[in-house]
Amino acid sequence: MALLEVKDLRTSFKTEDGIVKAVDGVSFSVEKGQTLGIVGESGSGKSVTCLTIMGLNARRTTISSGEALWKGKDLIGAKPSQLRKIRGDEMSMIFQDPMTSLNPVHTIGKQLVEAVQLHRDVTVRVAKARALELLKAVGIPKAEARIDDYPHQFSGGMRQRVMIAMALINDPDLLIADEPTTALDVTTQAQILSLMKRLQDDFGSAIIMITHDLGVVAETADDVVVMYAAKVVEHAKVHDLFNRPQHPYTWGLMGSLPRLDADTDRLVQIPGQPPSLLRPPSGCRFHPRCPHVMGVCRTTEPLLEGVERDPSHLQACHLDQETKDREGTKLVEATMAEA
Amino acid sequence: MATEQGSNGQMEGQMELHGDELLVVDGVKKYFPITRGIIFQKAIAQVQAVDGVSFTINPGETLGIVGESGCGKSTLARCIVRLLETTAGRILFEGRDITHVSRAGMRPIRREMTMIFQDPYASLNPRKRVGFTVGEPLEVHKLGTPSEVKTRVHELLEVVGLNPEHYNRFPHEFSGGQRQRIGVARALAVNPKLIVCDEPVSALDVSVQAQILNLLKDLQDDFGLTYVFIAHDLNVVRHISDRVMVMYLGQVSELAPRDALYREPKHPYTGALLSAVPIPNPERGRAREAIVLEGDVPSPVNPPSACRFHPRCPRFVEGHCDVEEPQLRPFGEGHVAKCHYPLERWPMTSSEMRRRGSAEAHEEPVEA
Repeated sequence: MALLEVKDLRTSFKTEDGIVKAVDGVSFSVEKGQTLGIVGESGSGKSVTCLTIMGLNARRTTISSGEALWKGKDLIGAKPSQLRKIRGDEMSMIFQDPMTSLNPVHTIGKQLVEAVQLHRDVTVRVAKARALELLKAVGIPKAEARIDDYPHQFSGGMRQRVMIAMALINDPDLLIADEPTTALDVTTQAQILSLMKRLQDDFGSAIIMITHDLGVVAETADDVVVMYAAKVVEHAKVHDLFNRPQHPYTWGLMGSLPRLDADTDRLVQIPGQPPSLLRPPSGCRFHPRCPHVMGVCRTTEPLLEGVERDPSHLQACHLDQETKDREGTKLVEATMAEA
Repeated sequence: MATEQGSNGQMEGQMELHGDELLVVDGVKKYFPITRGIIFQKAIAQVQAVDGVSFTINPGETLGIVGESGCGKSTLARCIVRLLETTAGRILFEGRDITHVSRAGMRPIRREMTMIFQDPYASLNPRKRVGFTVGEPLEVHKLGTPSEVKTRVHELLEVVGLNPEHYNRFPHEFSGGQRQRIGVARALAVNPKLIVCDEPVSALDVSVQAQILNLLKDLQDDFGLTYVFIAHDLNVVRHISDRVMVMYLGQVSELAPRDALYREPKHPYTGALLSAVPIPNPERGRAREAIVLEGDVPSPVNPPSACRFHPRCPRFVEGHCDVEEPQLRPFGEGHVAKCHYPLERWPMTSSEMRRRGSAEAHEEPVEA
């Protein structure tokens, strides 16, 4: 049984302008100890997917359907009290912005102790010892002295370490990291990513890594889900995605990256803007921006299907296999040229 | 103060000008005082945001400036366009010293150099129509009658890939990428020679980022523009720049033609930066090992002694790097780096980087 199995997840928000379908039929599963990357641009629904799984959307304005089976139990219809038991214990989350996700008026020690005591019946002394252990594990220098400091006394990278310590303090089976390094400088990002990798080896947790950075996905994920306008457009093993990309949006994303390891004169640009989810385009949602658009794309929505030779490589595009292979190879070869 | 003059003198001594540089930045420093007290403010310390930076830019080229947050790259940009007064040093634009030109005297120069800002959400006036925002520089500089201005604005909107019919819209009606195009149109309005771009694509999604980068390149080809391009993303800087300058804690650590910098970095900090960039290729990305630096960037209020990178440097040599400040030394055509123990080759792993041969340590490795 998969650790987490998401089936046909849908989330809509009621807004003044109408109903926004932020997640529209997303399915994937996460196995123990595995890392799933979710890539997409802003507004593609990658964060909302995870917030829905965690039950963190505002209940009054959100409609969710579908299933998110956590060890076989559905989380979507679960009571808030049940979710509270799971969140922060079996499943925890790291948010993008370490500046705003810690409480500024409490010491980090107090916040870490609270995280332990919410789920474990232990004394403050035991909880604090655990907090200290985690602060050391995530590489906070002089942890004993710093445990009583306030968040503002830490730098951005150090705060993100504290967040990771808090997320891991109850030994979760799944860690959801929502753009954990986007707010950080590149050398700090390298520190945090190598830390997460090490902790995953030590603690054996599964990770869902949400990011817009294909580089981060390529270096951390086992499986990758590419999202566009609230839907999954491609889902594959990381090597397959980068070596045999099947969807024109994935090609666009890869081609639009300026990169250190290849020379490109001109970036491939995806014309236009991501669509509004209030009124998503008909048929394939990518068709207004797709360079390979055909008549059928405007009218019929493509299904997320396995590629013939590899049923585990899922993609949603009407193009014939030959074109997909040709275009995908062309793109990969263009980026493989050594700089 | 004596040391300050000394290093300043050295900077000037190193600069070889050939007379047709568009911009010369010579030993520029910008210190911000930290004050205490409300009525009687007294400076108790200084943030050394930019500390002795020198470089030149030739017409038509793009100089990329990279560095992490707090390295002084944005402060430097603001000093160049005189939005901030420099503490020391000179800025020459087309051979003319503009460091201390008055506000009125700056006005004609502001037609020659403009700026594109990072945040397209904050840098446009939400209460002004797009047509006004783009045409405002023309009105300020009294370039043309109202109808000429309007024609020119239509033209500009078209050039940057917006629909001229959007003339009467407000900024909130546009997406982030479109807003950044408005910012580009405004910067272009007065036909400048130099555009200082301060993180122009950092707030944009990758697909939109590619659009703006392509646009900036096209405009450069069409109008012969010169860019100072500031970014923290090494991929973006590599794509757009002819030469690249790496800054650390207010100083230049390395400056080189693009390919030299990315293929043969000499400064350990440049090496660490390059190795830290995730590569969107699973085989290649996982095969190499990121050189993970210890700790955080120190405070520019109290920067480390001698080489400012020494507390985090994998090649740190006690008694040398923390005592004697390295100077920018040449490593081939237009390539300078500020390090006592430059990298012998590239790529390198962390352990290779740490293993600098102690025998050759005190020799001056001179390379052609």
